[in-house]
Amino acid sequence: MPKIEPYRLAATSLVRLLEGGELTAEAVVQSCLERIAEREPVVRAWSHLAAASALAKAREVGKARQNTLLKGVPFAVKDIFDTADMPTTYGSPIYVGCRPASDASAAALPRAAGGILLGKTVTTEFANRHPGPTTNPHNPDFTPGGSSSGSAAAVADFMVPLAIGTQTGGSVIRPAAYCGVVGFKPSFGLFPPAGMRINTEALDTVGIMARSVGDIALLRAAMLAIPYSAPAAPQTAPRLGLCRGPHWSDAQPEGRAALEAAAERLAAAGATVAETELPPECAEADKWQRILGSFEGLRNHMPELYRHEALLSPRLRDEKVAFGRELTLEAFRAACRGAEKARRAAQDWSSGFDAVLTLPAPGQAPRGLADTGSAMFNGLWTQLYMPCLTLPFGSGPDGLPVGVQLVARRHSDEPLLRVALWVEQRLGEGARQ
Amino acid sequence: MSGPKRLTASGLVSQLTAGSLTAEALTRSCLEQARVGADIKAWAWLDPEQAVAQARAIDRAGRKGRLAGIPVGIKDIIDTAGMPTEHGSPIYRGNRPFADAACVALIRAASGVILGKTVTTEFANRHPGPTVHPHNAAHTPGGSSSGSAAAVADFQVPLALGTQTGGSVIRPAAFCGVIGYKPSFGEFSRVGVKMQCHNLDTLGIICRSLDDVALLRGVLLAQAPHRVDRASAAPRIGFCRTPAWEHADRDTHALLEHTAAVLSSGGAVMQEVTLAPADILDHHRRIFEFEAARNYAYEYETHREKLSPALRDGLLAPGRALPLAAYIEAIETAEAFRANLDGIFADFDVLLAPSAPGEAPKGLGSTGDARFNAIWTLAWTPCLTLPAGNGRSGLPLGIQLVGQRFRDEALLDAAAWVEARLT
Repeated sequence: MPKIEPYRLAATSLVRLLEGGELTAEAVVQSCLERIAEREPVVRAWSHLAAASALAKAREVGKARQNTLLKGVPFAVKDIFDTADMPTTYGSPIYVGCRPASDASAAALPRAAGGILLGKTVTTEFANRHPGPTTNPHNPDFTPGGSSSGSAAAVADFMVPLAIGTQTGGSVIRPAAYCGVVGFKPSFGLFPPAGMRINTEALDTVGIMARSVGDIALLRAAMLAIPYSAPAAPQTAPRLGLCRGPHWSDAQPEGRAALEAAAERLAAAGATVAETELPPECAEADKWQRILGSFEGLRNHMPELYRHEALLSPRLRDEKVAFGRELTLEAFRAACRGAEKARRAAQDWSSGFDAVLTLPAPGQAPRGLADTGSAMFNGLWTQLYMPCLTLPFGSGPDGLPVGVQLVARRHSDEPLLRVALWVEQRLGEGARQ
Repeated sequence: MSGPKRLTASGLVSQLTAGSLTAEALTRSCLEQARVGADIKAWAWLDPEQAVAQARAIDRAGRKGRLAGIPVGIKDIIDTAGMPTEHGSPIYRGNRPFADAACVALIRAASGVILGKTVTTEFANRHPGPTVHPHNAAHTPGGSSSGSAAAVADFQVPLALGTQTGGSVIRPAAFCGVIGYKPSFGEFSRVGVKMQCHNLDTLGIICRSLDDVALLRGVLLAQAPHRVDRASAAPRIGFCRTPAWEHADRDTHALLEHTAAVLSSGGAVMQEVTLAPADILDHHRRIFEFEAARNYAYEYETHREKLSPALRDGLLAPGRALPLAAYIEAIETAEAFRANLDGIFADFDVLLAPSAPGEAPKGLGSTGDARFNAIWTLAWTPCLTLPAGNGRSGLPLGIQLVGQRFRDEALLDAAAWVEARLT
């Protein structure tokens, strides 16, 4: 059997090999760094790579032989998170030279669990729409999606097994689907946000990416600083709701085909699949999403607007922030109230299913790097605070990955991971490129 | 003792815009008072030259913004470009943030002078800073916004920012005899405010008049300020002793009963309100522990020996041990509590409750008990404390008014009605 390079391995496999002494953390980091050196000129996933310090840390971990969860597995964080020993730019030229005093919890917790931070991955400007340089690792003419562009591309391209992103609209699930990896957005508020540059506090959710559901479960335990046990797929087939959603007519053919095919295959495997549509309380979710983002956006970007307005992208300044100037406090409050009502309705609705099967994006990644694609299939779930997970399934007309998304009742994150494992086992064949 | 420093910010703005007062003269007056009152130790950082330079620039520009050169004190867990931000912790000694917090930028954009950084307890938690009570140095000023409350009470600055996760705006304001305001959760931007508990942390205002609350609140929301209605009809008031009532002292019991009677005879509809569930403070505690233990991950993992034992062993260690399911139960209980409370406000304009168990306790080792505040922090409702008398040691006592979430303007109007009947 040919030897598999460490950079190709899942985090859970790496943990086992590191634990058994069959691999060293240094060899793993070295392998990932070689992969990055080879591929980064095309993929451009990293805004900062801390090669030397990662290797030094790997040697340290090797010596300490400490009994930690991640045991020297490399990971990456989106450059929207502060890091004490690496530059942090939030994808904006305004923050060139910024060196925060501390690590965001999204960096500190995996580090404390024995993870080795390889560097910072590219984010769009302030996790908004203005793109960074990252390309889709499957084809550099296509966007990787955003805003967690670098995290998705780096994981998909085997540069690093685990990465952290954030989602305010669709910034974890969409790029993960476009790049063909597993993306997980937990229930709102569960992963600690300290040290994350705020985009929209009513919506911002820290999320993670990996190449398997098992790896997601591992990193999740580190992010929550809770005891870890590997999840097992449920014994009985799950009850799934098939939700095409209000934007179905805007989905691309390959997206629709993937969802229909997944539903069919899972039903054939024994799952109950019932068609369902969202409760009427969610009808205005897109409007609220825009109001929440722009009202907060104007105020949250005051540090930049006051000193460096010209360095904001026109898109952020003239669209999002400009709309924020038109909004009254009452409009913001009404959006908050509306979203809260929708959340209560969604709790009742989603309790009828183990998970809802839906699209993570309209289809494959769009061509070109100027736009990171539409979040229309994500904003709703972000606003509803429900846990979401995207799995690769199928491909588009240009050979790029397509995915399907599983969404569960808020705070049912652990059951969602178990269902996702069941689904992953059934969709696994043909899921990868 | 007189001079511009004694005036409210709203009174000063008219002088500044009329040109009868310069921002520089006002800033110098505040700095002089800070020098005289240096023993109160309200400031973590105060650089007179830097403050005067800001004031001069505002004077040169014609004192145009809504604050027109008013000095503001900033709690030292809030980032400031050009001034240190130390979070009340040796871990951050000399820390210079790259950018201003959003609230600081909003104040600068409105031509406010960032006078300096006010003392916070360690990470806005329990371990106290050096600040003493401005009326009696043997007593705590309260915390965690200790310096902001003490500086405003001592006329060193007319406006200051604080933050509240348990009771850190309302309690020190009540102890120091000034006005404290915690807005509805989610309205003031937290960009650049050190994150402790994302479900609880609320930026607030400490000042000496209700008009000043409205003024600075408008600046922080980038909205036209609410005009406090001083001719509003008598409010419907719910007298809420809260599940913590037995923890208040006799002075506070008497003050609240007396105030309820006075307001009732002044025309307010007064009715008792009971909160449910009675163990709501336990849920606040769980959320506090679980979130702080993870949001302070960097400090806990990398600088554990520099954390106070109270924070490290009293909050973060139990927070790490708390099961996720217990945290989620607390989050869901809090949401049900909020929905229930929202329903109560169908019958009331405001609730009347204690601001603190009593006057500021003697000694500087503890900043006092937050249980009369934590309820409302968890509730996400707007709160105001108004000075309303003195306790047995002659130190101030406050009464707290609580409004419906997202009806902060109605709370301000009701507070004006109440204030007029307290004096």
